[in-house]
Amino acid sequence: MKFFSKFKIPLLAILVALLGYSVQANAGGTLRLDEVAVGELDPGKASDYADSILMFNVYDTLILPVQGGPGSAPHLATSWSQNGNTYTFSLRKDVKFQSGNSLTAEDVVFSLDRMKALGSGLSYLFVVVDSATAIDNSTVQFNLSKTYAPFISSLVRLPIIDKKLVMKNLADGDGEMGDWGQAYLSQNSAGTGAYRVTAHNPLEETVMEKSSTYFLGVASDAPNTVRLRYGLEAATVRTLIAQGKHDISSQWLPPEVMGALAKEGAQLFSESGTGAFYLKLNTTKAPLDDVNCRLALSSAFDYEAVVKMIAINDEVSSGRGSTGAIPIGMFGSNPAGQELKQDMAAAKQHLANCKYEAGNHTLELSWIAEVPLEERIALLMLANFTELGFKGEIIKLPWALFAEQVSKPENTPNVSQLFVNAVTGDPDTLIYGMYHSSNPGTWQSPEYLDDAAVDALLDAGRSVTSASKREQVYAGLNNHLMAIAPTVYAFDRQSIFAASNRVSAPALTNPKHAFGLDGMGFSFRLMSVKD
Amino acid sequence: MPPILRLIVQRISLALVVLIGVSMLIFAIARVIPGDPARIALGPNATVEQVEILRETLHLNDPIYVQYGYFVRDISQGDLGVSLYTNRPVTIDIAQFLPATLELVIVAGIMMICIGLPLGMISARYKGQFIDNLLRVVSLLGVSAPSFVWAVILMLLFAYFLPIFPVAGRIEDIYVIKAVTGFLLIDTLIDGNIDAFFNASWHIFLPAFALALSGIGQAARLTRANMIETYNKPYIEMMRAYGVSQFRIASRYAFKPSLIPSLTIIGLDFAAMLGNAFLVEAVFAWPGLSRYGVAVILRKDLNAIVGTVLVISLTFVLVNIIVDLLIAFLNPRIRYSQRPK
Repeated sequence: MKFFSKFKIPLLAILVALLGYSVQANAGGTLRLDEVAVGELDPGKASDYADSILMFNVYDTLILPVQGGPGSAPHLATSWSQNGNTYTFSLRKDVKFQSGNSLTAEDVVFSLDRMKALGSGLSYLFVVVDSATAIDNSTVQFNLSKTYAPFISSLVRLPIIDKKLVMKNLADGDGEMGDWGQAYLSQNSAGTGAYRVTAHNPLEETVMEKSSTYFLGVASDAPNTVRLRYGLEAATVRTLIAQGKHDISSQWLPPEVMGALAKEGAQLFSESGTGAFYLKLNTTKAPLDDVNCRLALSSAFDYEAVVKMIAINDEVSSGRGSTGAIPIGMFGSNPAGQELKQDMAAAKQHLANCKYEAGNHTLELSWIAEVPLEERIALLMLANFTELGFKGEIIKLPWALFAEQVSKPENTPNVSQLFVNAVTGDPDTLIYGMYHSSNPGTWQSPEYLDDAAVDALLDAGRSVTSASKREQVYAGLNNHLMAIAPTVYAFDRQSIFAASNRVSAPALTNPKHAFGLDGMGFSFRLMSVKD
Repeated sequence: MPPILRLIVQRISLALVVLIGVSMLIFAIARVIPGDPARIALGPNATVEQVEILRETLHLNDPIYVQYGYFVRDISQGDLGVSLYTNRPVTIDIAQFLPATLELVIVAGIMMICIGLPLGMISARYKGQFIDNLLRVVSLLGVSAPSFVWAVILMLLFAYFLPIFPVAGRIEDIYVIKAVTGFLLIDTLIDGNIDAFFNASWHIFLPAFALALSGIGQAARLTRANMIETYNKPYIEMMRAYGVSQFRIASRYAFKPSLIPSLTIIGLDFAAMLGNAFLVEAVFAWPGLSRYGVAVILRKDLNAIVGTVLVISLTFVLVNIIVDLLIAFLNPRIRYSQRPK
């Protein structure tokens, strides 16, 4: 004990000094949030959530989704017209890039050409575009190889890049365009957006500052500086928010942590209408090659239990009851109030019509190893389906292995759990890849559905250009998909974010201001931060 | 050739063989992890054509020995390829993340030596008394709990309940320090910003301590055991008989021979911390190479996996050479054993 009494005073002095040092004020007007690594700054390669947040703040697009409803509104464009497969856009003349260069039609052409040349990210959305032509400084024309109704909504994924700036910073590469500015754009911003990048490390943090030249102006209470951090652990985020050193969590925080933060007074932001959680049934393997067995599983699944399972508290859940294949709020969806419910009597009736004996079959119920929640859902399925007499085997699959296994129908589990999102907000980008018979065996389509009526409706959704007719097509498709049940439509996804009370984000709290597009709710210019 | 030079040449030759072996092994292992690297890199929405083009670019359709040939050609030009995870050259990624991990590991290593060895000495000196028993329990706790458990406990205690230390990052956002060496503790001093230096020290303390705790426990236990053994040697008995002070006996005559086995373990621990730092880096949002290494393995980023493992192996080998040289310096018998017979 003598040892401690000798050092008592120095130890106390160190403790007091550290306590004093730790009391520091937060930076004013700074918004701090986190997402899963990495943050891809090159808009031509952006595809994940973090990339989308960066893209929507640093770059602008010709159109934006309408807030609070389906459809698109002009943004960098003032208007557009369509003549067959040719779309002509008039551009605003008051837009400047962060470099000071003016926006011209050449920039739009360059942005499209670059995206197609790189062939990564969401470039597949523009495969149908043959060419873009600058008619004059503020008019640009897109020529499509065939009719593609979702083209306008796809443009939310065509960020416009400052051609002059990129051309000055081309690095070596194949051909005349060198590396297409990849090296430069992976570290620097070249957009017209409301925020410009001042520092970027794809695994650590991106720092953005409010641009003074934004063509729509930015409110004074919008954050001056934004620090988007990557790959923070749940425990770290919880401690940082509790200490007032972090403002918005990612959606990947476990519901328990999110609930604890809400109990401590944090707000819960949400984003919905962009995707859903599906239990995908392999329609090529017995017993689920029989539609009646699939319908039996659809009826036996406990939809209310799964929504409770992902609840954060009594009012908020990471999902809401599904009404069909298309999430509520999208073209063709069934309205709220028609949520699916478990119906064991109907399930037994469907099973009676199935050509297979339930007891003779063991259903492989897979879950993705990186998403622990799915194990709980697999257990729920097991409980529900064994009530019908099926035997079940729960299989844990790492994502990489899953993506490889589903390339062959015989290796694909009977049931696969997946979150799927519409990358443009249009139902085409949600369900075409899942159900069209031309796309079998991808991660989105472990159903291996081959149904002529579904194909016809999906093709009609692309070729019919009138909004009301498209709505009818997708409503019909939704009903047909319910009737043939290639999937159990478990719940509509709702992304929840815990946030400190110094932040206000109408696009994430008020459905009338919501964009219906993943990540766009994080348009920082529409947020406000208290100092 | 002088014995010490002979030892260095021998160790460096062995190190080269080890590194070539490691490169072959990790090159093969990285390619048998399930999953198509091109598909993982391009994301779930990429078309089959896009995936195929990337596979061709990465030579993934070639036999593995051809791929290894490309790798050797590129690495001889200092090119580790491009990371599919960050879309940057792997060398740039490593240059950015390695200093953060090295800084963390070096500070943890200093803590291990500066805390572990004296604790062992005190424990041996007061053998069987209260302080010895207490330190043994503390050492055992340090050894038995993994560093990430300590990381979470320390964060809860000293950042959440008692907000003394920061939770995340290497330095407060308000400081802008120009990267010269990548080591913030050095760069802040080069910048002449003493406040930033203390801030960086304040940030590194908890993660380094969490990482060092296991090593501290191990060093303390080993030093204690070796010193107790040395205390029983007749020459120590003779020192006591001559009336040499206890402090002088401990620090000068008992400590040096006890240091040799401890040094070997500390060296191994130090190198192992490079790999073990992952969870501590994850908990404290420390932007280091270990976290990067795990992230690239999960995404099957072949170039980055090979690059990261090679750098960690190289550091491991270098640390072992340094430890060997230190031991040779401390123990003349090893130096003499290198003389030509």
